[in-house]
Amino acid sequence: MEGNRSKFRELLLDVFLLDPSEFRWDLTRSQIDTWDSLGTVSLAVGIQDVFGHHLTPAEATGLASVEDILEVLRRKGVAFGDA
Amino acid sequence: MKVLLDHEGERARKDLEEAWTDRVTFAFLPSKSQRLEPWATDCLARLPDSMRTDHFALLSSGTTGDPKLVLGSRVCAESLARLLHEAQESEVVSSTIGLLPLSYSYAFVNQWLWARTFRREFVSTAGFAQPDALGDRLERADRSMTCLVAAHVPLFERHFTGRRFPGVLRVHFAGSRFPQEKIPLVRSFFPEAEIYNNYGCIEAMPRLALRRAEEGESASDIGRPLPGVELFTAQDGRLLFRSPYAAVGFCDSTGFHPFRPEDWIFTGDAGHPEPDGHWRLDGRASEIFKRYGEKISLPMLLDSLAGCWPGHGAFYRETDSLGETGHVLVLAPHPDAAQLRAVLSTLRRDHPRTHWPLRIESASDLPLLPNGKVDPAALTQLDDRRVCWSQRI
Repeated sequence: MEGNRSKFRELLLDVFLLDPSEFRWDLTRSQIDTWDSLGTVSLAVGIQDVFGHHLTPAEATGLASVEDILEVLRRKGVAFGDA
Repeated sequence: MKVLLDHEGERARKDLEEAWTDRVTFAFLPSKSQRLEPWATDCLARLPDSMRTDHFALLSSGTTGDPKLVLGSRVCAESLARLLHEAQESEVVSSTIGLLPLSYSYAFVNQWLWARTFRREFVSTAGFAQPDALGDRLERADRSMTCLVAAHVPLFERHFTGRRFPGVLRVHFAGSRFPQEKIPLVRSFFPEAEIYNNYGCIEAMPRLALRRAEEGESASDIGRPLPGVELFTAQDGRLLFRSPYAAVGFCDSTGFHPFRPEDWIFTGDAGHPEPDGHWRLDGRASEIFKRYGEKISLPMLLDSLAGCWPGHGAFYRETDSLGETGHVLVLAPHPDAAQLRAVLSTLRRDHPRTHWPLRIESASDLPLLPNGKVDPAALTQLDDRRVCWSQRI
């Protein structure tokens, strides 16, 4: 489960080109300058690649923070070791 | 009319000398292009009477990849060699050291024809096929000049680190992106040399603009047009030229196509003038495209990475999963983790996501054509290609 958290963090670093030092679990979309519409597409593809879950367009466009992404994935059954 | 193959070395120069002395128009093709001899013979046979003497033809693949023979006037080419001699202050130069195939218009005019016109020595070498011999020859250089392409710089670094060639007084670059960020390194090899960025294309036969390395800070700065040469930016950004030294036309599978003196000829690049009179390249016209409505210039993208990536880079085009044209960046050699992070950070800092490559791949070396340019067709077929990062689109 901790592995999922680590994979998730790596995915976000990769998709949004974040420096590891600036990553926080409470980051919002407005705080990530590279989270644009193409970034959302990239994030959805990344989630499919890494966690094997498809995000619907409504789910993808409704994401507004890192916590939102975690919550969507939790609903799909991904455990992050924090429940 | 006859077709010559560049057999390289002394034989090529002997063949060329004989062909140039004879008034009959000839074509000079790269080595290993025997298969094109019948086609070239057919092209020459289609020339108008006025061009069957006193001209010469060189091969170009052009932007389409289809071969074409570009026809130049010998009088004009010799005039250009004289102009370059003056503009590059080459009177002090007594010899030129050849690393490039002579069938390349750059080496043909800047070196072979220049040496012939000014009765200077032409020193043939096998280039980096025999690096030890090349290094020895450069060390023995006495008031020499040489013509390089950017791809030679890492080879100098690989083979000649710590060596100096003070007998080389002029170092020219042409044919691909000017290695502006590597100039300190180039100067370390050639401490006494003036270094020039030569810009042109085979249709210009070949030179259009010139600048000394220190007269600009960007690889895309090609300096000012040579006297008599006019540059012009079309509405779509294409860079066009008129030049008294230009080719007189070209032959392809559809026949001979003359250039008239009043014609604006396409360089193959996009470019624009700057307020200081220098011209700046925006990239090959084929390397500029729109992605999600944003104009992407691959050469400018490479320029922006030059500050954080010490190796080489090239692009090939690919369509993303949404059907938009994108690009894949290939780095060589393989970057370490910190270098890759620096490249990604630069992309994030300086470019919107639409400019980011679909993937970053790496290889130990970029595949090169004989003229030193990256072979775009081979970029997708590298044996040791690795995917370093993917945008996942």
